[in-house]
Amino acid sequence: MKALDTITAKFKNLPSAVAKKFRAIPSELAGKFAGAKEILTQGNGKVTASMLVMGLGQLIYRQWIKGFMYLFVQAAFIVYFVLTGAGDLFGLFTLGTREGNAWYGVEGDNSVVMLITGILSVFIIFLYIMLYISNVKDAYRTQCAVDTLKEPLSFKKEVGALLDKSFHKTALALPVIGVCVFSILPIVFMILIAFTNYGGDVVPPALVDWVGFKNFGKILSLGQFAPTFFKIFGWNMLWAVLSTALNYFAGLGLALLLNKKCVKGKAIWRAFPILAYAIPGFITLLGFKFMFSYGGPINYYIQQGGGEVVGFLGLDAKWTARFLGLGVNAWISIPSTMLLATGILSNVNTDLYEAARVDGASSWKQFIKITLPYVLFATTPVLISQFIGNFNNFGIFYFLRGGLYVDGYFLASDTDLLINWLYNMSIDNNYYSIGAAISLVIFAITSVISLTVYVLSPSYKQEETFR
Amino acid sequence: MRKTLPALIAHIALILAVIITVGVLGVIAAGVSAEGSEKFTDELERNVTLHILENDTAKEQGYLKELLDAFNSEYAEYGIKAVDANIDQYNDLEQSGPFGYGPDVLYQANDALMKYVDGKHILPLPVDKIECAEELSEAAFKAYRSTVGGQEYTFGVPVNIQQPLLFYRKDLIPENWETEWDDDKNGVPDMIEYWTDMYRFSKQIKKDSNNSKYGYMKSLNDGYFASGYFFSYGGYVFGGEDGKDTSDIGFSKNDGYLGGKIIRQLASVMNLECTEDTITRNSYSRMAKGDYFATMTTPDVYTLFIKEMVNAGYTEEYARANLIMTDIPSLPVSGDLEDESQGFKDMVAMGGVNGYAISSYTKAPNASLAFVNFATSYKMINRRAELLGISPARRDLAEELGGLNEKINQNLDSGSIYVMPSVRALAQVWTPLQTFCATLADDVLNEKDVYVTDEKLKDGIRNVDNQIYAAIHTLGGS
Repeated sequence: MKALDTITAKFKNLPSAVAKKFRAIPSELAGKFAGAKEILTQGNGKVTASMLVMGLGQLIYRQWIKGFMYLFVQAAFIVYFVLTGAGDLFGLFTLGTREGNAWYGVEGDNSVVMLITGILSVFIIFLYIMLYISNVKDAYRTQCAVDTLKEPLSFKKEVGALLDKSFHKTALALPVIGVCVFSILPIVFMILIAFTNYGGDVVPPALVDWVGFKNFGKILSLGQFAPTFFKIFGWNMLWAVLSTALNYFAGLGLALLLNKKCVKGKAIWRAFPILAYAIPGFITLLGFKFMFSYGGPINYYIQQGGGEVVGFLGLDAKWTARFLGLGVNAWISIPSTMLLATGILSNVNTDLYEAARVDGASSWKQFIKITLPYVLFATTPVLISQFIGNFNNFGIFYFLRGGLYVDGYFLASDTDLLINWLYNMSIDNNYYSIGAAISLVIFAITSVISLTVYVLSPSYKQEETFR
Repeated sequence: MRKTLPALIAHIALILAVIITVGVLGVIAAGVSAEGSEKFTDELERNVTLHILENDTAKEQGYLKELLDAFNSEYAEYGIKAVDANIDQYNDLEQSGPFGYGPDVLYQANDALMKYVDGKHILPLPVDKIECAEELSEAAFKAYRSTVGGQEYTFGVPVNIQQPLLFYRKDLIPENWETEWDDDKNGVPDMIEYWTDMYRFSKQIKKDSNNSKYGYMKSLNDGYFASGYFFSYGGYVFGGEDGKDTSDIGFSKNDGYLGGKIIRQLASVMNLECTEDTITRNSYSRMAKGDYFATMTTPDVYTLFIKEMVNAGYTEEYARANLIMTDIPSLPVSGDLEDESQGFKDMVAMGGVNGYAISSYTKAPNASLAFVNFATSYKMINRRAELLGISPARRDLAEELGGLNEKINQNLDSGSIYVMPSVRALAQVWTPLQTFCATLADDVLNEKDVYVTDEKLKDGIRNVDNQIYAAIHTLGGS
């Protein structure tokens, strides 16, 4: 009850905290732009030269290498835009104007490739803007140094600083570029796809077009869509909570059990769950599907025992199949939680338990007051990622009970999760743009849940507690 | 500010000018339409390597190697060399071709090949230059014809006709079949000729063995095989003259619902395994053990049945003599497996025509055409039939080989083979159909008895049509 009150209080404060953040934006922006205003008003001719042509101010200050590097950046940027960048950027808006005809070797525009290269060109523009700003700031820094009768920093010293005082920038530069290209670019691509008509018959060489919010409108306006969405969403939430809780507590329980001094041959017992973990998930799932099918061994033994065959995954097996899914998911996921908890438990201060025992705390009390808070604190981010993983767990019901549309559901079955439904409607039916729109909705749901849980968790609020 | 701001503006203006000028010029240039040229010029390209995509069985059985060797020695003087494309047999040309790593010549099923037509990924072929054209039936060619821009083109050369066949254990036919199971006295056991007798025979086996052995067994949720029951009574996949009108879904059209009735009746002589894919998986071993008398599948898996029979302790000669592939039985006109009063009709089964097509991205279209002509020559198709057990689309060869090969050719001509529509939307047909077929089987085996009346069956199959329509059109289009 107390925990519930705490959570309610935290949620009550959430709107005011958000409002406060928003109110602070203008002053934060003003702070950021104060520097820019200063440069614009106080910058001398050399800074002006750097503003006009990148690196020119530095060259006038006789900072040759740096100056030429900035100059090279501007030249490279212009060359890139002349050769391909401008076309790529315009292509992002047009998504192609010429349809290809492979019969006559006429190469047309590939809208999907154009979308990617267009996004890349926008990234490059942002990168250029950042370098341009750094060029101007650098020229102004040099101006300030000279004005205070200091020598402008030599290139060697600046490189030295990048390996010392500003090492974080050097170390992070490559990963940031990597994240932009391999993570942000595909995400932006997926988001933009949701605003096109890509899919169905509109696949290259046919030209894709922008359709604005039409896909979202289509989703919202479909009569069949809303009831199925809410039914699947409800089950999806229940599934994510139940499976995460089951996997987490069963894994923790197993770790605690195997941590007991009285257990003999711990290494062997720990190895068994690892085997389940080591086997590829889809093989395990197909194995379980076979085991629980009408012709599988489970039904064979039921029949041998005089019973009737059970449709564990049959047409009407809504809840049986759902519970079976939970069990199979637990089989696959518990070992990883067990390993994680085993590692964390090995770091618990045993004095705490000793003290608790002296105070007369029962084993259950010790678990509730010491073990659980400690493990929970350390694993909240993992717990959130497991929740997201389970929320978007495509494989379980695709392999166990795929290829089924149930009455009352639009192109889905009663065990499908949103991600399976998304697959049915997008990949299975080639409607990539609709799929992207639905995945944006899923993304919004999961990110709101995970961010809220994380921000409210002790792992975030009391980061220093166990340090 | 007076000095710095103009410099900043000048820089931004310069960059914008570059971007806009080059970008606009690019858009104008893209608007100028490029000219193309005819690819089949009769002039063989020299010193080229052709990448051939063949199916796995052709590779495994050594046919591809023989074909490549024979072609390469024939065309060595031109420097033309054909090699295995070494890519997956289901490779999607749409994904690989435009980027230059697809095959030059493809051997795939008609539905797989014809889906490339919309994007013009395969070349329209000059029929007058296809050497085996006269030996191929119009029905076989039809699977590769499509109208683009108001003109009809041919996109493939048929090689092999595929249709489901009945596989049965000859040694499990009762000894007294000539007196008890040959009413028409034509020397052929009735249970492999008529579905009504197969149903009666299966019922008897199930009863006599106390549900441990079965007659005909098949996963009824397999839409590819189950669709034939609906086609046989006037149902169809897509309407329109070319069978590609996705706005007209027709499983329920005409008396298509009777197909559902047949499926219910067949399910009653099976067990609940027919509602899932268990039987598809275990039919090889269960037939080998004698637990099943018959099943329906495609001829390419014949060797798997033989292998299982050998594993079960039979000699290969015995297995080959007793595991028989034959044409599928006839259905009662009445649509009721217990009513033969109105006579019988040929069952229409879904099938296909495998063939060769040429990629639009090939650098050597004329050499590719030469390869296709070589691979579809009498000699090579004969060898293919010998090694791979295919049913050749070439009529001269089918007639010469006779038996089932000739019958399959006739089935295609007579419309008893419903050629799988070459429409992308076909992918959306299977799930609704297989769910309904499984529901029908479940209905009878779990004694739910929902679909006992014609009206209920009609409603059920109409619902399937609606689901397919919804899957294709609700979210599709712009």
